[in-house]
Order: sequence, then C-alpha cells, then structure tokens
Amino acid sequence: MIRVEGLHKGFGRLKVLNGIDCHVSPREVVVVIGPSGSGKSTFLRCINMLEEPTAGKISIDGVSLLDPKTNINSVRAEVGMVFQRFNLFPHKTALENICLAPLKVKNISKGDAESLGHSLLKKVGLSDKANVYPDQLSGGQQQRVAIARALAMQPKVMLFDEPTSALDPEMVGEVLAVMKDLAREGMTMVVVTHEMGFAREVGDRVIFMDEGLIVEEGTPDELFLEPRNNRLKSFLSKIL
Amino acid sequence: MEVVLKNYPRLLEGALLTLEVTLFSVAIGCIIGLFMGLLRLSGAKPLRLLARVYIDFFRGTPLLVQIFIIYYGLPIPQWFRGGQALLTAHFNVPDFISSYMLPVFLSGVIACSLNSGAYIAEIFRAGVQSIEKGQVEAARSLGMTSSQAMRFVVLPQAFKRVVPPLGNEFIAMLKDTSLLSVIGFAELLRQGQLLVGHYYVAFPIYLAVAFIYLIMTFSFSRLVDFTERRLKTGD
Ligand SMILES: Nc1ncnc2c1ncn2[C@@H]1O[C@H](COP(=O)(O)OP(=O)(O)O)[C@@H](O)[C@H]1O
Ligand SMILES: [Mg+2]
Repeated sequence: MIRVEGLHKGFGRLKVLNGIDCHVSPREVVVVIGPSGSGKSTFLRCINMLEEPTAGKISIDGVSLLDPKTNINSVRAEVGMVFQRFNLFPHKTALENICLAPLKVKNISKGDAESLGHSLLKKVGLSDKANVYPDQLSGGQQQRVAIARALAMQPKVMLFDEPTSALDPEMVGEVLAVMKDLAREGMTMVVVTHEMGFAREVGDRVIFMDEGLIVEEGTPDELFLEPRNNRLKSFLSKIL
Repeated sequence: MEVVLKNYPRLLEGALLTLEVTLFSVAIGCIIGLFMGLLRLSGAKPLRLLARVYIDFFRGTPLLVQIFIIYYGLPIPQWFRGGQALLTAHFNVPDFISSYMLPVFLSGVIACSLNSGAYIAEIFRAGVQSIEKGQVEAARSLGMTSSQAMRFVVLPQAFKRVVPPLGNEFIAMLKDTSLLSVIGFAELLRQGQLLVGHYYVAFPIYLAVAFIYLIMTFSFSRLVDFTERRLKTGD
C-alpha cells in the first residue's frame, strides 16, 4: 500500500529524515513513536507531500508521488490526514467541514454530500452537532469531526499526527475509540502517538524513530516488552 | 455664520461628491487590491515583483503628486471628449451620468483608486497571511488545489479579518479626497474654498467644512465597529 525507500528530508542545512525505509501493507495499522524532534511529523507529511522529500521514493498503491506526471491532488484525495491541532475550518459548520472537499474535489451533488456527512457524523458519534461551528465543540469533538472530514474523501490510507496530544485527558478516550473502530474495519493507518494502550490493542507494528531514522521496529509486544535499542529503552522509561 | 447657513446646500453638494469619489475609489481599490495582494503572495517571482513595484510606488509617493501625474499626464480630457461624443451620439444620456464623466472626476477616481489599491493590497496580504498554515494544509490534504484552498478556506476567513482595516482605509481616503480640490474637483473642501473666495470670510466656512468631514468619518467608523461586532459573533 505505502512504500517508502531511502526517504531523506532536510530544511536547508538541517537534516530531519536520513533514509527511511518503510512498507505498510493494506489493512495494516502502524504506530510511530519517538522523541520530539525525531522527524515523525515530517515523515507523515512526506507521505502526502505536504513536505517535499529531498531524496528517496514514495509510492502509494503503486503510484509514485515523486513522479512529475503524478497528479498530487488526486493522490492526496486518497490519503486522509488528521492533525494534532484539528485544523477544522472555523467558518464552516461541522457538516460543512465534512462536505466541502467531496463537493469541490469530487464534484458530488449537494444532497449526496450531505447524506454522506450525516452518516459520518453518526459514525463518530456527533449526529446532533451537524450545524454547530467548531468553536462551540470540545477538543475531542473537533478531532472527531476532523476524522470524519478526512473519511469523507473515502481514503485508502489514514495518517494521524499525534491526534490526541492536544486534548484534555478526559477526551482522549473518545477519539481513540473512533480510531480503534476504524482500525477494526480494516483501514490502513499510520499513527504517530504515544498512547501505548492504543498501540497494543490495534497496532500491528510499532516503529521507533530517532534522529530521522527508524531505529527499531516490531510488534507492540516486542518493542514495549523487550526493547533492544538503548535509546528506545530510555525513551520508554520516560513515557511509561 | 449666516454665510454657512445660507450656503450649506453647496457644502452638502460637495460632501456628496466627496462620498461618491471615495466610494468609487475604494470599491475599485478593493478589486485592484485583491488582485495585487494575491500577486504579491503568488509563487511566481515576476508577478510578485510587479505587485511589489506597484505597491511601493503608490505607498511611497504623495497622493497629491499622483493626482498631478494622472491629471496632467494622462490624456483624460481627450478620452472624456471622445467618450462623451460617443455617448451623446448613440444614447440619450441623462445629465447626472455625464457629470461623472467630468475629467476631474475621472482623474480623481483613477488616482485615488490606484493609491487605495496599493494600501488595500497590503491589507489583503496581511489578512491572508494571518490565517494559520494549518488551514491550507488541511485543505490540501483533502485533495484541494491551491486555488481551491484559497477560495473556499483562506479568503472567506481573511475577508472577516480585513473589514476593520478596510474601514480605516475608507475613512482615510474620505479625508484624502480633499486633495482633489487642487485640480478643481468640486468636492467638499473645494466648495468651501469657492465660498471663501466669494464672501471673504474663512473661519466659519472652513469650520463647517471640517464639521461635515467629521460627521462623515464618525458615522462611518461607528458602522465599521458595528459590522466588526456582528462578524465576531457570526463566527
Ligand atoms: N517547516 C520546517 N522548517 C524548518 N524546520 C522544520 C520544519 N518542520 C520541522 N522542522 C524541524 O524538523 C525537526 C523534526 O520535526 P518533526 O518532524 O516535527 O518532529 P516530531 O514530529 O518527531 O516531533 C525539528 O527539529 C523541527 O524543528
Ligand atoms: Mg510532531
């Protein structure tokens, strides 16, 4: 599904990713962990070309992202992204947030978009919030709308960049619950998170990144219970 | 004082022209400003440079000089005569429309629009740049093109933020149109000058002129405050 080979990314002289190789199979849930500044967000953002890689190869479903002939907008339409800070459109209601891209990018009819929007709101447990603006929603509710907004494009892959780390603790559970449902339905997911419970429950594989490299990877149990790398050990001792 | 009371319709006529020239100029200035503001932010360097030159020129030189350049430099009277001949030959043009065609009015609107456009371009640029980067990223991550992200996500939010500075620009322009008196455009200050020349009294007349400007700017700034509050609650 996702193939990343030799991915490098630098901002000027700062080298952030130093050769990432990573394959994600269909229906797989990959959890990415690592210290702050290790390049996790940059890695995710390269997968949908919000950052342009300096070198390397990325392909999604066989379509190479760095091929100049590839229409990057149609690739992005199939890769959903959920941000740490939600990034809902504040001038649009929850329903309008969800419907905007299907209407404008896929050109579906207004009626179809709205019934899609209502069914997604139901899925994330917010049927009653269709006409509410983001600033009247709690953080957890905003993030669930953001997930529904990404799902509205019927993506093949979902990327999550620390989706719960801007939330008050009591709201983390409701967002993780939506993500777990999604994982069980077979969505291919790459999730940057430090929620170990989530990783162990639905993660097929955990990747530990440090200084722009994948330092260790394996099943959740392998990484959390028998870490080999010293930096992973000290990282785990800090967050557990 | 009686001079003012006897001649206030003249002053009000002038005030009306002041309002008209300001409205036209700021409206056209908004179109120029939106266009130039977006060019200023565009990815293409030559376009950015073009916008930069335009903005720097009109913000960096006095409006009075710009008025002179346009009034004396452009063949507006010829355009005017040509246009008028064309209109009267083909249509039955009512007087109030052809009065807009007066060369001074045209020069005034052109100069003030170009000047206003430069300030408004900066207002739009700042408005667009004040929208967090995450908004565009969210839009792009959903597959929108950069112009779709601009149209559906950034500009609607930016428009709300530019209302107060646009209101200020309108008020500033309303006052600055008094400079058009020097090319003989019969706006408020010019009407005052004509009365002063006729009656040889200055103080009460200019005081009345100032008072009328004040009424216009004051009511307009109240209107801006009101709209601003409405937009805030509408979020
Ligand atoms: N747009 C950018 N410009 C310059 N430096 C950046 C930019 N984005 C990220 N960085 C730098 O790249 C490094 C990795 O950042 P990031 O991928 O956000 O790490 P993480 O998500 O693991 O905390 C950091 O040092 C950060 O300062
Ligand atoms: Mg990050």
